[in-house]
Amino acid sequence: MAPSHFEAPTDVEAAIALLSRRPGARPLAGGTDLLVQLRLGAATPDLFVDLKRIPRLMATSLDSKGLTLGAAVPAAEIVENASIRSLWPGLVEATALIGSSQIQGRATWGGNLCNASPAADAVPAMIVCGAKIVLAGPGGEREVLIEDFTTGPGETLLERGELVVEFRVPAPAPRSADAYLRVTPRSEMDIAVVGVGVQLELDREGRVASARVALGAVAPTAVRADAAAEALVGSRLDDAALDRAAVAASTSASPIDDRRGTAAYRKSVVGVLTKRAARIAYERAQAR
Amino acid sequence: MTGTKRGSTGQIGARRKRVEDPRLLTGQGTFVDDIQLPGMLHLDFVRSTHAQARIAAIDTSEAAKCPGVVAVYTAEEIHGFVPLLPGPAELPGLRAPEHHVLANGHVRYVGEAVAAVVAEERYTARDAREAIRVDYEPLPAVTDMERALEADAPLVHEEFGSNLAFELPLGNETAAALEEADVVIQQRMLNQRVIPNTMETRGIVADYRRSDGQITVWLSTQAPHLIRSLLAELLDLPEHRLRVIAPDVGGGFGAKANLYGEEMLAVALAKQLGRPVKWIEERQEHMLATSHGRAQLAHVTLGAARDGTIRALELRILADMGAYPHIMTPLAPLQTAAVMTGCYRIPCARAEIQGVFTNTTAPDPYRGFGRAEAAYYLERAIDLLARRLDLDPIEVRRRNFIQPEEFPYSSPTGYVLESGDYEVCLRRALEKVDIGALRQQQGRLRSEGRYIGIGFASYVYRAGFPSLPKLPRTGFLKGGWESAWLRVDPMGKVTVLTGTSPHGQGLETSLAQIAADELDIDLEDVVVRHGDTASIPHGNGTMGSRSLAVGGSAVLLAAREVRHKALRLAAHHLGVEVDAVRLEAGRAFLPGHPERAISFADLADLSYSFLDLPDGMTPRLEASATFEPHNWNAPFGTHVCVVEVDVQTGEPKLLRYVAVDDCGRAVNPLIVEGQIHGGVAQGLGQALMETVVYDSEGQPLTVSFLEYATPTASDMPTLEVELTETPSPLNPLGARGVGESGTTGAPPALVNAVVDALAPFGVEHLDMPLLPERVWRVLHEAGAVR
Ligand SMILES: Cc1cc2nc3c(=O)[nH]c(=O)nc-3n(C[C@H](O)[C@H](O)[C@H](O)COP(=O)(O)OP(=O)(O)OC[C@H]3O[C@@H](n4cnc5c(N)ncnc54)[C@H](O)[C@@H]3O)c2cc1C
Repeated sequence: MAPSHFEAPTDVEAAIALLSRRPGARPLAGGTDLLVQLRLGAATPDLFVDLKRIPRLMATSLDSKGLTLGAAVPAAEIVENASIRSLWPGLVEATALIGSSQIQGRATWGGNLCNASPAADAVPAMIVCGAKIVLAGPGGEREVLIEDFTTGPGETLLERGELVVEFRVPAPAPRSADAYLRVTPRSEMDIAVVGVGVQLELDREGRVASARVALGAVAPTAVRADAAAEALVGSRLDDAALDRAAVAASTSASPIDDRRGTAAYRKSVVGVLTKRAARIAYERAQAR
Repeated sequence: MTGTKRGSTGQIGARRKRVEDPRLLTGQGTFVDDIQLPGMLHLDFVRSTHAQARIAAIDTSEAAKCPGVVAVYTAEEIHGFVPLLPGPAELPGLRAPEHHVLANGHVRYVGEAVAAVVAEERYTARDAREAIRVDYEPLPAVTDMERALEADAPLVHEEFGSNLAFELPLGNETAAALEEADVVIQQRMLNQRVIPNTMETRGIVADYRRSDGQITVWLSTQAPHLIRSLLAELLDLPEHRLRVIAPDVGGGFGAKANLYGEEMLAVALAKQLGRPVKWIEERQEHMLATSHGRAQLAHVTLGAARDGTIRALELRILADMGAYPHIMTPLAPLQTAAVMTGCYRIPCARAEIQGVFTNTTAPDPYRGFGRAEAAYYLERAIDLLARRLDLDPIEVRRRNFIQPEEFPYSSPTGYVLESGDYEVCLRRALEKVDIGALRQQQGRLRSEGRYIGIGFASYVYRAGFPSLPKLPRTGFLKGGWESAWLRVDPMGKVTVLTGTSPHGQGLETSLAQIAADELDIDLEDVVVRHGDTASIPHGNGTMGSRSLAVGGSAVLLAAREVRHKALRLAAHHLGVEVDAVRLEAGRAFLPGHPERAISFADLADLSYSFLDLPDGMTPRLEASATFEPHNWNAPFGTHVCVVEVDVQTGEPKLLRYVAVDDCGRAVNPLIVEGQIHGGVAQGLGQALMETVVYDSEGQPLTVSFLEYATPTASDMPTLEVELTETPSPLNPLGARGVGESGTTGAPPALVNAVVDALAPFGVEHLDMPLLPERVWRVLHEAGAVR
């Protein structure tokens, strides 16, 4: 059943106040997760707090330090932003996979993250970019790393009255780049069976100086696979290093069997995608 | 063939854009949900959440108290005025369960209607529905056909003592031929259960006028006249006071050719309550309560000589009847048996059919109904045979094709194929894909560890059913004929009425082309009307790829008659013999005497004035015609699918799809290609991703688009479609069906391609849908991936 109340505050303070007032209050960004859950009876909010009228949550600013992006900016705006696309091709790739054009007109990073689905496409891509979020609540603001924010399926660090205000993505180092890949039966409008994000930074000799790998849909939350990342460091991405990374990624995955895929399949494919995403990130970094 | 002349306006064969599209694309179509009547009530249903349970109690008291609720019904309350639904067609030995509109103390599938609510507002009805409490005593359920036939399986209908609905053998003897065959291949093949998912779900508005007993029904249906007859018969209503309107209908695929319980109840309630009643199906309801498709399992046995000549084919078919088969449900496997030998000369063929009750939604016609299943089994079996004999699958097909001079050809299962030229489609398809180069590329890539597969499917099916005196009662199908009315108004514009009921096929355009061509006038001067039993005396609707070949032929016959009458009138007016007059480009004239002419519009005007008519001629240029085909026509074609399988992830990627199809005379090739495109997409959907999944308790797990994937545009390669035109001798247009060609060709072409790609790993068969994990698993088992 639809909630009995709907509010559309125009600043963060008012949003916090509304969210604090009722235990059943829920932020509403694009609604592309929340409205589906509502229909299925999986969510029963009694107050919607619309975030799309709050200027700070709709703002985008890009400078030499990186990107600050409001939590309610629609995916379409991110995907169509040429500067963002050229700096974080993997993150944009992941964002572009969310739903369809229609969905992307509404869907947001904030919703993708706060919905806390282990299969959320943008999240592993955010993690490997070293992105952080700013949370605002009755106690003030705090900054949290993406990988620390989700604690289980549908569970986050969000406290009562708190919301995600903005994303902060540090500017990529020189000779570094990211990539994201996923597997789904249908090419769009489907939920990742496995997703992998990789970010690599190369030294002047073309060796991997530092790496980050994050896996989606193979654990209760998106997870970093540091062992896989380490397997790549120091290499020029030779087959042996890639194989080691693949094995490490499979090992750090703890998937379950569900209708979309068995644990065995996910463990196997997460290694394959780790290799492939690493290759793409490597080529992109080389080209920079 | 045929006496069809091509008019100078050249309408037949012209790639005209669909005249219905501007209306539909700009939101000006009228669908059932657009119908709003004063005082209209809204109907909603409580549906079973159990696959099998006894209903201990239903508490409707809370719902009845909701403000705005007009009435709440359970089986007991409708008993007096709503009859049982019609059972399945009467096959010999078939056990037909009672099918109640609302469950009568026992539910047998998830989604079965249990109670109904009528309220002033749609949302009130929905809220009230949620306030109804049903007490279930769950019982074990069975959703798998093989399990259902085991001795200790839960019984869907206890009174029958088993889940076997019927058994039927068809065809001739195969045992000896199989015995003598050099090779025999055997394979179990699943043709999985799919959901039609029409873009528009089902819906109805029913209105009863107390003053004169007139009932008007707006229904999202493929067959308004058949539904009218059924409603009249079942509800004991005078048929002439019953009007059924199929307004714009957003797809049917066979699932809207039947009368459903919700619909019959809506009509009965409109009469009972004296107010209009509307019901619009939700998507989730559609996935549960509208008939499903396919749901067949076959054990295929094919015997052949060493050179690939096929000797015998045997199918042991399990056909899912669901819990309550609809009228046509048991006919699906009969259709499969009828065309099981496809385009091939197979002297011995036999089908052993078993219909099986399960705790599921009943399957019913679904684009390709029974025949697509047959093509799938056979085309897969031929590839298995070619592999076993180490022969080229193309050669095996060629070697066994029925040759053009062998027609009419009687198959061992009793189907007489009228004509065809299978070789032509195959050849064109091979040229189009450049098979030589493609195979070289395949070999080269294989050595690089990339796996390309090439899959072929040569199919034939039967379309445009004739009247079937010999078949047991097929319920409400009254005949295979179709009717048309054509009238010219005083300004020379033409209205065509058709008894077909198009719902996306573009017949408003192609039927207009037939009339315009025959009368040699502009397409813009013809309007086609359909789907209203008040203006169209009778018809058999749109299903089974019949509307153009059969309905179009009726239009042609009516147009011919009007043309002759126009010529006679022109001759009278010009004072010459009929033979001297020509009708062309919107006027009648005397060749060689351009001044002795009369426009078609003036002729039309003249026809309304009694005084100007020749003796004995009735006023008005108008005619009605009926066309009855004496056999099914046989559309055929060859599809070639090229895939690359990612052996690490199991993902099949479509590289190319070539379809060469023959629908005889293509009245509008653009529309024909559109039918192929849609059908191929739908067929690839079945092959790649669509499937209904039940858990061990019989709960369907695929009840929203979140869990049930259908392909989107981005899943489709560019389709390369070509038409060959081998006219059918069965109708004056020379047309064959086309609506089901895509769903018939695509599944075997795709699966054959994937299996071909995986040949180096020894993979011989995979059941649909070829989800990445399923493909990965066989590779994993073959040791190809970790
Ligand atoms: C057809 C379809 C296809 C989809 N395909 C994909 C896909 O391919 N990949 C994918 O990852 N997802 C997919 N999704 C899911 C969904 O679109 C994404 O997760 C999307 O990013 C959610 O964003 P939203 O703004 O719509 O979230 P909402 O639905 O508005 O919110 C989701 C949750 O986050 C909370 N929330 C939102 N913003 C904030 C905030 N700023 N602070 C605190 N809490 C907040 C809400 O309260 C709610 O609990 C699909 C959804 C649909 C309907």
